[in-house]
Amino acid sequence: MKIVVDRVKCQNHGQCAISAPTNFELDADGKLQYQEAFDEENISDIEDAVDACPLQAIQLKS
Amino acid sequence: MPATADRRPLIGIVGSGIAGLRAADAILKCEVDARIVVFGDEAHRTYNRPGLTKKRYPLSGALEKTIAEDVRVKGADNDAVTWRLGIRVETADLGDRILRLSTGETFEYDRLVIASGIRPRTSARGDGECELHTHRTLRGLGDARYIHHRLQAGEKVTIVGAGFVACELASLAKEYGCEVLVLEALRRGPFESVLGERVAMTLGRWLAQQGVTFLTGDSARKFLCEAKPSNPEPASDRSLFIEAIGSVPNVEWLHGNGLDLSDGVRVDEYMRVSPWENVFAAGDIARYPDPWAAGNLTRMEFWKNAIDTGDLAGRSVAASLGHGSVTSRIGYFPSMTTEVLGLRIQIAGDPKTSDSMEIVCGDLDRPDQGVLVAYLREGAMIGAAYLDKGARFNSAYIKLLRSLRER
Repeated sequence: MKIVVDRVKCQNHGQCAISAPTNFELDADGKLQYQEAFDEENISDIEDAVDACPLQAIQLKS
Repeated sequence: MPATADRRPLIGIVGSGIAGLRAADAILKCEVDARIVVFGDEAHRTYNRPGLTKKRYPLSGALEKTIAEDVRVKGADNDAVTWRLGIRVETADLGDRILRLSTGETFEYDRLVIASGIRPRTSARGDGECELHTHRTLRGLGDARYIHHRLQAGEKVTIVGAGFVACELASLAKEYGCEVLVLEALRRGPFESVLGERVAMTLGRWLAQQGVTFLTGDSARKFLCEAKPSNPEPASDRSLFIEAIGSVPNVEWLHGNGLDLSDGVRVDEYMRVSPWENVFAAGDIARYPDPWAAGNLTRMEFWKNAIDTGDLAGRSVAASLGHGSVTSRIGYFPSMTTEVLGLRIQIAGDPKTSDSMEIVCGDLDRPDQGVLVAYLREGAMIGAAYLDKGARFNSAYIKLLRSLRER
């Protein structure tokens, strides 16, 4: 499984960075930066990030 | 429902919004061998309701379809789930476990999830017409289609209220190029009941700086319906008039069952509706023990709250049918975000119940340069808010939230 963010939908609200700071962060310009790969032990944080996105821009794909 | 030889338990979910969908998904995930029927009074499957005010749409004859596809939320795609859309549940008899539907049918359930949500409050009676205005509200896709369509014409719009829906609508209308008037008769600025007077006044100034006419108190009141029609000032021009002044829980269909319906449906920390062992509630309608203020009950109207409570209600249904065990009580960490005319506003924790606030960094006179605010109750931080045009203090905000979460 990997994280895919729809850059067209994403408006850089940063809720994902609150839920799963290991994989998501906003850079100094406020743009979302993220790592596609994640450790299985962080899955609940990642799922929380998917749910928390107000634009529903994050998906998990295998 | 026709009688069948199917012995699987029958689960009724009233409400096809995100809370109902997530309850269905959680039940499926627990591998419960059951049939699930989701009732929704709108004709559409589940969609991202906050998305209705997030962006402009191009002019189109199929606007409702365009919006519906854009905000569609997938889930509960399983043969065990039947969607009955465009149908209202009129009444429920929880003793006999029977729902009466707008089609005249009855539905007998083994488990019931109440996720019928809320509707917008309005000051209008009956048909939404008063001497001064044609009142509109925003909740469903049909409302969104209508409002986007009107805003596309770039006409003048009046918005009553200064909460999240009101501010996002003002922002959207401005993006469409409309002339925007926002009226807030009771408070001094946006989100005052959550973020307090100082931040509210900052946000009120922000609206004005961005070209929105923002009126409070008596200046606002004279444009409202309580203004007498004999008052010559507000012309009865019937331009777009949208009220975003709070909500009313959809509980009427539950009357007559002895439930506490004073503000939504009261549930315990597992989303169970006492004294009925087979009834659960989730989403905007559920009033549950506040994990952030012991002894209090709370009802939240946020996307993530609907997801978390829907998920928990589904797991509780599964546990009541002998699948899995619900060990986690509601442990919701409130965190939400909105954008008002380019200003990002993030709120976390429970600032509403604070007794004081502290500016951690930034200046309330320059919110676009970033302001981070901590909210305290009896000296301990219980909430935070972060206003910014960029993300200058984002890492500081996240650090603040981490300590809030681990408190």
